[in-house]
Amino acid sequence: MPDLLAVDGLHAWYGESHVLHGVDFVVRQGELATLLGRNGAGKTTTLRAIMGIAGRRRGSVRFAGAELIGLPSNRIARMGVGYCPEERGVFASLSVEENLLLPPPVRPGGLSLDEIYTIFPNLLDRRRSQGTKLSGGEQQMLAIARILRTGATLLLLDEPTEGLAPVIVQQIGAVLRSLKERGFTMLLVEQNFRFAATVADRHYIVEHGRVIDAIDNAALAANEAKLHDYLGV
Amino acid sequence: MNGRFAAVLPAALLAAALLVAGGAGAQSPDAVRIGVLADMSSLYADLGGPGSTVAVQMAVDDFGGSVLGKKIEVVSADHQNKPDVASSIARQWFDEKGVQMITDLTTSSVALAVQEVARADNKVILVNGAASSDLTGKACAPTSVHWTYDTVSLANGTGAAVVKAGGDSWFFITADYAFGHALERDTTAVVEANGGKVLGAVNVPLNTADFSSFLLQAQQSKAKIIGLANAGGDAINSIKQAAEFGIVAGGQKLAGLLVFVSDVHSLGLQTAQGLQLTEAFYWDQDDKTRAWSKRFFDKTHKEPTMVQAGNYSATMHYLEAVKAAGSLDSAAVIKELKSKPIDDFIIRNGHIHDDGSLVHDMYLYEVKKPTESTAEWDLYKLIATIPGDQAFKRPRGNECPAVKG
Amino acid sequence: MFSWLHIAMPPAPALFAQLLVGLINGSFYALLSLGLAIIFGLLNIINFAHGAQYMMGAFCAWFLLDWWGIGYWPALVIAPFAVGAVGIAIERLLLRRLAGLDHLYGLLLTFGLALVIEGLFRQRYGSSGLPYTIPAELIGGKNLGFMFLPVYRGWVVVFSLTVCLATWFVIERTRLGALLRAATENATLVQAFGIDVPRLVTLTYGAGVALAALAGVLAAPIYQVSPLMGANIIIVVFAVVVIGGMGSILGAIVSGFALGLIEGLTKVFYPEASNTIIFVIMALVLLVKPAGLFGRAA
Ligand SMILES: Nc1ncnc2c1ncn2[C@@H]1O[C@H](COP(=O)(O)OP(=O)(O)OP(=O)(O)O)[C@@H](O)[C@H]1O
Ligand SMILES: [Mg+2]
Repeated sequence: MPDLLAVDGLHAWYGESHVLHGVDFVVRQGELATLLGRNGAGKTTTLRAIMGIAGRRRGSVRFAGAELIGLPSNRIARMGVGYCPEERGVFASLSVEENLLLPPPVRPGGLSLDEIYTIFPNLLDRRRSQGTKLSGGEQQMLAIARILRTGATLLLLDEPTEGLAPVIVQQIGAVLRSLKERGFTMLLVEQNFRFAATVADRHYIVEHGRVIDAIDNAALAANEAKLHDYLGV
Repeated sequence: MNGRFAAVLPAALLAAALLVAGGAGAQSPDAVRIGVLADMSSLYADLGGPGSTVAVQMAVDDFGGSVLGKKIEVVSADHQNKPDVASSIARQWFDEKGVQMITDLTTSSVALAVQEVARADNKVILVNGAASSDLTGKACAPTSVHWTYDTVSLANGTGAAVVKAGGDSWFFITADYAFGHALERDTTAVVEANGGKVLGAVNVPLNTADFSSFLLQAQQSKAKIIGLANAGGDAINSIKQAAEFGIVAGGQKLAGLLVFVSDVHSLGLQTAQGLQLTEAFYWDQDDKTRAWSKRFFDKTHKEPTMVQAGNYSATMHYLEAVKAAGSLDSAAVIKELKSKPIDDFIIRNGHIHDDGSLVHDMYLYEVKKPTESTAEWDLYKLIATIPGDQAFKRPRGNECPAVKG
Repeated sequence: MFSWLHIAMPPAPALFAQLLVGLINGSFYALLSLGLAIIFGLLNIINFAHGAQYMMGAFCAWFLLDWWGIGYWPALVIAPFAVGAVGIAIERLLLRRLAGLDHLYGLLLTFGLALVIEGLFRQRYGSSGLPYTIPAELIGGKNLGFMFLPVYRGWVVVFSLTVCLATWFVIERTRLGALLRAATENATLVQAFGIDVPRLVTLTYGAGVALAALAGVLAAPIYQVSPLMGANIIIVVFAVVVIGGMGSILGAIVSGFALGLIEGLTKVFYPEASNTIIFVIMALVLLVKPAGLFGRAA
């Protein structure tokens, strides 16, 4: 499988503070890779830098062969990158359905509204409600669902399980696996490596703004001690 | 954020006001300075404003540019129709900038405030733009002359003419400050003296855009005459909107008690036709007024109003009096001014009374119909000349201590 | 001693007439505060140039008629586009540089712009204004029994109400409106979904300015086309927006019309206070509900 996303020597700054110090990793077409790391390691910043919404950045981000560094975020999205932020970003002044329909289709091949409602039946029931009146789990579903419509081929998902009950986490795991079957490529930020292990092909360990290790999911059990050390769990 | 906004707004406005008031320009140390203190930017700016400065400068140039061996300088400032702003500018001019005389002074509340500053500083003011007869009535001052027109002469002009033509019941739309109140009071006196009666009045804040509510009140009063005791932009808007609300078509008549040539030009003849008004000066009176007005027009692209022409006349007479008195001393200059008739192509058959009023001929004009007008500024036809004694006669006597009793 | 103030209650039909007149003035407040609210919502800028842009709309109508003989009806379309284009240039060249800074900078910049624009117009056209006549189709009036309603004023109310409702519909019920609302909440995320937010911001400013210009064209036949017309009304409109709640669309419309009515009643019962009543109400509203009647507390 070719690399869909290749991040090379990525630096990023928030104002004066230098947060990413040369991040390198690749995500192959059709795979689900994770970024694991402690709080403040720079996982979210990496996603934001890929998306072009983290302050200043330098280095190289190649998506499907095209350089993204220097492009405004709307152009990056239009190339087929979908972003689901850590804080979910559900709009309070929009109804659930308006939230779903907000991201414009960027290329053909996205899921239809019906397909989305089949995957997330809760959203169908609540489609006229105000976006932020949904439960935390429903809001997370909504945040994921709305980037599936657009035809984006790479999904950047920032901690979709954060703060959710175990049943909901399981549901989201099922959704991610089914998305992978449909051919989506995903980069998932996680703190919960047990959950990550159930969905991912490969893990990258982020520390102090760098990727310091890469572990195949198959080798996860063998590397458990090392992982505990990295993540401090 | 709202609190922040509310806190910043006045500061920003004040800063802007100070910027405007500061512009007096560079001065040479030993010069005779004349101050033009006018509404330079708001609803009265076209009837006085920058045109008044032009007229005063023309007088200085025509006089020869110097008096008593000193260069004459003209300074000007925008009083923004605020008495407190005007007083502080006047005080600064008199005390620090060596200004000897202040003229224009459009807006009665402003002129009354500056007159107190002049009284305290014993300085000359020649009022041209303000109308309140209180300036030479209960507030009269020894070193002030009310030059061009006042509310009494407006009442005796337009007010009397309208009553005599059968308009014997009135409702006033009055600008809610010194000028409007004085004009309403003086016109009421004239109306009643001529056998008419006043049915009501409404006080309208200065610089109001929409008069429809007040016009409806006037309409409901069933008065034959709606007296507009306002001026400038306020008079323009009330006349224009009265047409819209069918006031005249409904049988009532408007009496514009203070309407300037700039207002009529702005309204257009279609709207203003038939309006009777009182003026001290009209550019198209004779060859002399036409010749001077042409020079004014070349500089400003407008014909002069009576305020602007009055500023020229006042400045000219002031400088001649300084020359004749051989002194800048206020009492000496005023004595000189009062000692001779005031008679030029702007002010006719005039003399200054002890109360400070310059009594002179006034004119009752009627605004032409569009078909009668032959040029852009051909706006008036003369109805009557009102001799000074008649025009400035106060039906209820004068409260000025200098002349009372 | 010369006081003829009617303190007494005017007869009902007279009151009705005054309410109608208040509604007419409210139309202008609503249109102007609507534009301000839209701009504030997305750009976070208190557009102090709004009054100057209203004035430019009226002048644009006058230029069209005086220079090219183009009448009222085309002007109603052309002027908003022309002045809106000027607004777009202002946003591109100036306001954009202030993105992300405190409100204060935008306020000061637009306030400065307003002074410059109004100063230039006053320099050239004086303060008494230029006449603009009511279009032939709308001349005259209808006797409603309780009052003589000039047809043009009726048109102003109906047209403004239509424009306000249409604008409300676009913002609350269409996809474009959803984009605007979302961008108001989180512009970065909306852009990360593929929307060209900077262009949306520019067009929104242009649309807000166009609304001001539209109000200017509507006002031209009623008031003189005067360089001062905007400066006189804009302070009141700011109070209306604050009362309605900064950035609230519905708040701007409702409080615009409502305050027109209240001001109209003041003109009957205590005319001397008619230009201060709105500020009194603003102070009261801010005391009780600092975010305004329809505003969401920050
Ligand atoms: N907007 C910001 N301005 C300044 N510094 C920031 C900003 N956002 C994050 N940082 C800093 O950058 C570093 C990386 O933060 P980032 O959000 O990428 O961490 P993270 O790995 O996603 O952590 P978490 O697991 O808690 O979400 C942290 O030290 C954080 O304090
Ligand atoms: Mg994070």
